[in-house]
Amino acid sequence: MDPRPAHPRVTRLAAILASAAFVAAACSPAATTTPSTVGLPGNTGEANTPPPGTFGLPSFTPAALRWYCCLGTGEDPSQQPVEKKVAADLSTVFPGSSLSFEVVTYSSARDTLATEIRGGNGPDIVGPNGIGGLAAFQGQWLDLAPYIQKSNYDLSQFDPAAVNFYKSPTEGEIGIPFDAYPSMTWYKKGLFSEIGLQEPPHKYGQQYQMPDGSMVDWNYDTVKKIAMLLTVDKNGKDATQAGFDPSHIVQWGFEPQRDDLRGLGAYWGAGNLTGPDGKTVVIPDAWKAAWKFFYDGMWTSHFIMTGQNFADAKINPNGYPFFAGKVAMSENFLWTTYGVADAGTDWDLAAIPSYNGKVTAPLNADTFAILKSTKNPDAAFAALTYILGDASDQLLQAYGGMPARPAKQDSFFQTLGQTTGFPAQVDWQVAKDSVQFADNPNFEAPMPKYNETLKILNTYLSKWTTTPGLDMDSEITKLQQEIQATWNS
Amino acid sequence: MNQLPGATAALPRVRLRRLLRRSSRPMSPLARREARQGLLFISPWIVGFLAFTLFPMVATLAFTFLNITLAQETPLRFVGLDNYVRMLGDQHVWQSLGVTIRFAILWLPTSIIVPFVVALGLNSKYLRGAGIMRTLFFLPYVVPFVAGVLVWEQMLTDDGWINTFLNLIGVANPPSWLFDAGWIYPALVFIGIWGIGAGIVINLAGLRGIPTELYEAARIDGAGAWATLRNVTIPMMSPIIFYTLILGVVDVLQYFLVPLVLKNGTGEPAGSTNFYNLNLYQTFFTFQEMSYGATLAWFLFAITLFVTLVLFVLARGRVFYAGER
Repeated sequence: MDPRPAHPRVTRLAAILASAAFVAAACSPAATTTPSTVGLPGNTGEANTPPPGTFGLPSFTPAALRWYCCLGTGEDPSQQPVEKKVAADLSTVFPGSSLSFEVVTYSSARDTLATEIRGGNGPDIVGPNGIGGLAAFQGQWLDLAPYIQKSNYDLSQFDPAAVNFYKSPTEGEIGIPFDAYPSMTWYKKGLFSEIGLQEPPHKYGQQYQMPDGSMVDWNYDTVKKIAMLLTVDKNGKDATQAGFDPSHIVQWGFEPQRDDLRGLGAYWGAGNLTGPDGKTVVIPDAWKAAWKFFYDGMWTSHFIMTGQNFADAKINPNGYPFFAGKVAMSENFLWTTYGVADAGTDWDLAAIPSYNGKVTAPLNADTFAILKSTKNPDAAFAALTYILGDASDQLLQAYGGMPARPAKQDSFFQTLGQTTGFPAQVDWQVAKDSVQFADNPNFEAPMPKYNETLKILNTYLSKWTTTPGLDMDSEITKLQQEIQATWNS
Repeated sequence: MNQLPGATAALPRVRLRRLLRRSSRPMSPLARREARQGLLFISPWIVGFLAFTLFPMVATLAFTFLNITLAQETPLRFVGLDNYVRMLGDQHVWQSLGVTIRFAILWLPTSIIVPFVVALGLNSKYLRGAGIMRTLFFLPYVVPFVAGVLVWEQMLTDDGWINTFLNLIGVANPPSWLFDAGWIYPALVFIGIWGIGAGIVINLAGLRGIPTELYEAARIDGAGAWATLRNVTIPMMSPIIFYTLILGVVDVLQYFLVPLVLKNGTGEPAGSTNFYNLNLYQTFFTFQEMSYGATLAWFLFAITLFVTLVLFVLARGRVFYAGER
């Protein structure tokens, strides 16, 4: 028997419903989890208000939270299992709550986060964030001060300077110290010994013994002299010898931290681009000197890689050429421990050179922050205390970050020293000592039109690293004018 | 026979009146039902178009007169033409437009001529294995573009395959394709040529549509290969060439993906890949200036529309349409 034909109205109704369902499905946002409204206390929050002087979270509604990474470190495949485990374990600490870990690579993390926030789909917790990552989203962070106060969170366990690092005049307390990355000179002992050079000094203030036996200050003039001796072409000639072939260099003497022109300058002196009035671009003289040194090192004295060499995956396969063993000395932050094992087992740490008699060792610091758009600020703050507290040891080891809690630093370096592939003896004391020379103000401090300014700086960085024969004075003036025009717009 | 001007003008009016009369006639129940069902079936598309194309377009136009940013630190307000005034004085807008135009000057002729020439070759009766050749030329087009760009990146690095080959044939200092602001555009053209499969297919279809009688007539008239190309093939292919030109202009003004993937959107080297559309994207998502980004988007739309209209005006009398009266 033939099936009974459907009534035309039924067919139409079905078609309307199908269309409506199709459109609704297409238009609806991704499935979201709604936290239950069961008022479970936090892990220590049996009482609604903790007794005076003791930490305790006020009761909060458990929630499904999202942790967004990586405006700072955190994307490396070796770090992600730890981060995922920390996220998964939150539900055991705070029953009913959950934390989903979302990793977006650093290069696109800012754009993606901006899109999510603007789309009303922002995460709850964001981190680890560098100072620059926080500055890139000025106005988006939750002021933690009321939550710190309500829970009696103990900030005295941190260096007051570290606490102040995250105090914003406009946004309040946007972070709690988590870790710090002092910078040092990383050097390959073998490359020094093979040409009979003394190793760089490990202690700040110590002098350096030149090949002729003279003792000189450990400053950038000295660095240049020995870096040229350590720069070698394919014929084995160093950069001081006649017949040196700069187009076929196989080993470079020195590598500055070139991720950001501000950071590159900060090794020569602390500062930032914002003048006293907050509107005028002022380039610190030390930065100008650093940039000229950098340019000369690439194109005239040849002891620093050009942009072409730096971008060549065969010379620099993993982000920083020191890792490939092609550079004798490199200034960089502690977070480079993530890849430094590739450099072999003959590297060690030395002091940052001085400029004009003063040492500046720029500092990177990371923390976790909560977006003010979060729908669950109490649950998010509870999760933040867990990340910065119980889970912090695991994360700090994964990130290679020196704990912001001074009490934990020795054990951190002890564990870090046992990393597979690291030399048996590394002078981690240099890292601890470098903190005293941290740049203040920090080079990543907020400035007007933060992201636009970064782009201009990066364009000039790219130009200088790929173009020989530039007049650096004129370039620096142009850079200043271009940034000023952007700030004025 | 010449017609009176009044008579020629009257004809369309008569037709229009007839049409109007026909359309004002009441529809039969069957026609109405069919119309309703037709509308019902296309309603998902209509809703999608209204919600995801038309409404956002209108909204972005409204945004250009507001001060929307991601942080929205100042209250939302009407700013009139401020965003347009700012755009006119923004050197990054003009720099990025300059970058786009420089690349377009190199890329547009290439994107029109190369597929045409390859299609001519593939259409030749003397070519053996034309089917395989067509497949091979089209193959890159179906490879995901991002993957293709990454492969090209490896080929074009300073010691990549291309420079290794150039070294082998005696070029001592081959170009630094990806790191020299002067050589980056030829490199981008190479990458673009890799994906011209669709252009070849379109040209090939056009060539196949040219009546063979025209070639026979040209041969009888004693035309050689060049004369045949100039007087038969190119005129007959002019609609296809014009079509690829229009699409090419639109594509090049929206050029975005390759610099984003190849240089991570940094504009390297030295800002030479900071294309207009990349600047627009960054204004929205990196600089988080939604209203200003919308202004840049509308400016791009205006430029595209203007260039396209100019091309249509210039094409009058130069493009041959066989069906045109």
